[in-house]
Amino acid sequence: MYRLFFLQFIRSRAVLASLALIILLGGISIGIGQQFLTQKKAAIDQVEQYQKKHLERNVSLHKDDLGLLLYYVKFAFVKSPTNLTGLSIGQSDINPNVQRITIKNLEGQRYDTDLVNPTNLQSGNLDLSFVLIYLFPLLAIVFTFNLLSEETETGTWRLVAVQAPSKTKYLLAKLSIRVLLIYLVLVFLFIMAKVVLSIPLDVHFMMVLLLSLLYVAFWFTLCFFVISFRKNSGFNALLLLSIWLLLLILLPAGINVYLSNRYPVPEALTTMISQRDGYHTKWDTDKTETLQKFYDHYPQFKEFGYPTEGFNWTWYYAMQQMGDDESAKDTRALRQKIKEREAASKRFSALLPNMQLQLTFNQLAKTSLAQHLNFLDATSAFHEELRLFFYPLIFKGESADAIAWEDFEPEYFVSQRTGYKGLWRLLVPMLVACLLMSLCCMVKVRRL
Amino acid sequence: MKKISIGLFGRYFIKNIMQTKVIYVLLVMFVLLTVFSAVGGINNYSEQNTIRQQHQEKARQSWEANPDKHPHRMAHFGSFAFRKKHPLSMFDFGIERFTGNAVFLEAHRQNSHNFSDAGFSTGTLRFGELSMAMLLQLVLPLIVFFLGFSAIVSERENGTLKILLSQGAHWKEILLGKSLGLFAIAMLFFAPIALATVLFIAFSESITDPTDVWHRFLLLFVGYALFLLLICVITVAVSTTARSSKNALLTLLGIWLLMVVLVPKTSQAIGNALYPTPSKLSFQAAVERDVIEEGDSHDPNDPHFQNMKDSVLAANGVSSVTELPFNYGGFVMREGEKTSARLYKKHHNRLIEVYKKQNNVSKFSAVLNPFTAIKNISMAFSGTNFNGYIDFQQQAETYRYELAQEMNELQMKYISSKVNSSEGKKNVVGHEHWEEFPDFKHQMQPFSNAWNTASFSIFSLLAWVLLSFLGMGYLSNKAKAV
Repeated sequence: MYRLFFLQFIRSRAVLASLALIILLGGISIGIGQQFLTQKKAAIDQVEQYQKKHLERNVSLHKDDLGLLLYYVKFAFVKSPTNLTGLSIGQSDINPNVQRITIKNLEGQRYDTDLVNPTNLQSGNLDLSFVLIYLFPLLAIVFTFNLLSEETETGTWRLVAVQAPSKTKYLLAKLSIRVLLIYLVLVFLFIMAKVVLSIPLDVHFMMVLLLSLLYVAFWFTLCFFVISFRKNSGFNALLLLSIWLLLLILLPAGINVYLSNRYPVPEALTTMISQRDGYHTKWDTDKTETLQKFYDHYPQFKEFGYPTEGFNWTWYYAMQQMGDDESAKDTRALRQKIKEREAASKRFSALLPNMQLQLTFNQLAKTSLAQHLNFLDATSAFHEELRLFFYPLIFKGESADAIAWEDFEPEYFVSQRTGYKGLWRLLVPMLVACLLMSLCCMVKVRRL
Repeated sequence: MKKISIGLFGRYFIKNIMQTKVIYVLLVMFVLLTVFSAVGGINNYSEQNTIRQQHQEKARQSWEANPDKHPHRMAHFGSFAFRKKHPLSMFDFGIERFTGNAVFLEAHRQNSHNFSDAGFSTGTLRFGELSMAMLLQLVLPLIVFFLGFSAIVSERENGTLKILLSQGAHWKEILLGKSLGLFAIAMLFFAPIALATVLFIAFSESITDPTDVWHRFLLLFVGYALFLLLICVITVAVSTTARSSKNALLTLLGIWLLMVVLVPKTSQAIGNALYPTPSKLSFQAAVERDVIEEGDSHDPNDPHFQNMKDSVLAANGVSSVTELPFNYGGFVMREGEKTSARLYKKHHNRLIEVYKKQNNVSKFSAVLNPFTAIKNISMAFSGTNFNGYIDFQQQAETYRYELAQEMNELQMKYISSKVNSSEGKKNVVGHEHWEEFPDFKHQMQPFSNAWNTASFSIFSLLAWVLLSFLGMGYLSNKAKAV
């Protein structure tokens, strides 16, 4: 019987066309992911090579003046994309993964953006996560909207009702063919992604796959629930598409407007101004006062004293430090606001399987906002390390030759390992959604 | 073809739809969505503009509060440019969430435009945002399809079509009448959005150039009306050719998915893949390489600047820079700024060209996709498109350049030729000069600019409307009653 179901199903042109379309788009999306990864990796290689040349040139130009040299020299700090990024690009297209910073004040540097075309950002990435989240539900809709109604409309349902031992089993058998076919396509795309993007077969990849399977299951149960009301095909198609429109476009879009308006981020602009004023106004204020504040922050450098005559680097870098120190309050407020925003976004997402899935994918691929904030924090730590290393050398008036510049290669961000223990929790919302829908189906199907 | 019969078919169609319950449910839902997105859009517009205006003023206050100072210190103290939102951004958000809206402007350096809203967002912003433009582009076509899919085909299915035609009605009258009837209903949905926008333009106190905004609104209104008319004609046409109501509905839903979701997204992705954006480092390195080649004013031994020094000394008949009638450091920086700004501009323009090529793929797809055409028209006249953003960047860069050069001029004029340090209270220029230099003010692009950007899409849309009517004429000769 299953063979017949399969043959009957596959005969439809619409079914074949939509299968071909989704495999094509899936393939394209994996290609796009690969292109993204290749570009990011090439940019990192470039940073590696450039840093050496950059250091050599500047050291040869300013080797007598270490203070001036470090005014110019930039050190790279890099967050390598995971291979899963190719599958869920997330926020990694907008947030830069390479920071090139000087030891001058950090707040003026670390929010600098990459070169991005905002139109591309608005349109969004056509990565596999998009195909999964938007298009697989559509496929589920196309495959199921007339599962029952075509039988009533062609008049075969009465025959089935008389002949089949169980109507429910008959429907489930028909449904299972469709579910199986979609799962085959899904797994095929995942294998393709694994090979093309050389994603390691680790627990993160498995989680992504498992979540995708659950998500598709959620949509099938939803579709099945809708068609079990035994309305005609046109009505089912329209209703299911409306649900799709509501869940995937209208509700998230409404939530986004709400979030942007509820949590504007003026703190970002305030920080921008206060870091400038913090540093630049010190050119006109009392040098001793600036140095005193600097030594309050770094008592270990007190020995360098209070030179006030003319220009000197101790005072200069003390001024730079004030840019960071005096904007620290605004920086904290900015971070606080972003955290509130993120928390609110997560609360809303928990209600919508698709938003939930996107955020979880990003988290697993390490392309989420939270992980970018971690990278920014690590950039601060990296910057601090550089400062503490170079400050005493500059203040002592050391020559640039005293430093082993070849050791200053780009440094890489090591993200904290997410423990395997917490991972299963990511499955919970999707599981709950699936179970709830299945329950609804069961109640409904009994009365069929 | 009689006008009176067209009117009759149109009115009859409207009457039929108005008798169903579903139209009222849809209307109420649509009005609620309109209210939500209008409130969201207006809030966002006024809140963001207030925030940006406040910061522009705050930054200006600290600029003016500077004491007597060496001009080069002021050149690095610098200024900020905050982007203002166009009043009609309340209607169509365009790309605004994804653009950096603030930039620090100082001598020698072109800083990046930072702090886009999307940068502070979790990945969910990519699901889009609910604006009135989105309702018109995405939701209303779907409603039109739903209300009109059975317009002709159901009459064929229940045999009334045959009767109509045998009583002397013409196909043209039926098709045109039903299309116009459907269009009238679509305009009924459009009305609350138009009303909300009109009220906003009429009563908002923040609009500085109301004539310009009214012109833009008028164009948007006509553009969307034409777009809706096209959608209605397509709906009726599909309904005429479909074998059954179900098929008509499925075809229309398929068209919607393809034109609204798949084609725009794919075309932008293709553009992005065909013309990859260079990495930031290769961009910066290319600018740096060119500057070094031509002459690096920050390199004390640069041959270009050595030559320049010799010729300046010769021209003034002196043997040392300290004898010059102006401050030589200021002169070097003026020349250096000229070179570096020109070279930066050259590379930046190339980058913009890359972006434009990326965008062109989807821009030109407007020929095939009227949904893209209206999207581009809408963003252009709402001042939220790519060009508006680039224009802001250019305004900011022009201001930055003028600021740096003004400070260099002050240095040449007022700072002694013997001075080569900017430290301390000795070698300073009076603080009254700071106030004299005007603050940055973001100017909106003129109407003509929006028109030029959108012209391709406008012609595509007009061509579509024209074609759809021609197609209807063709269809009226071919259509079958049974």
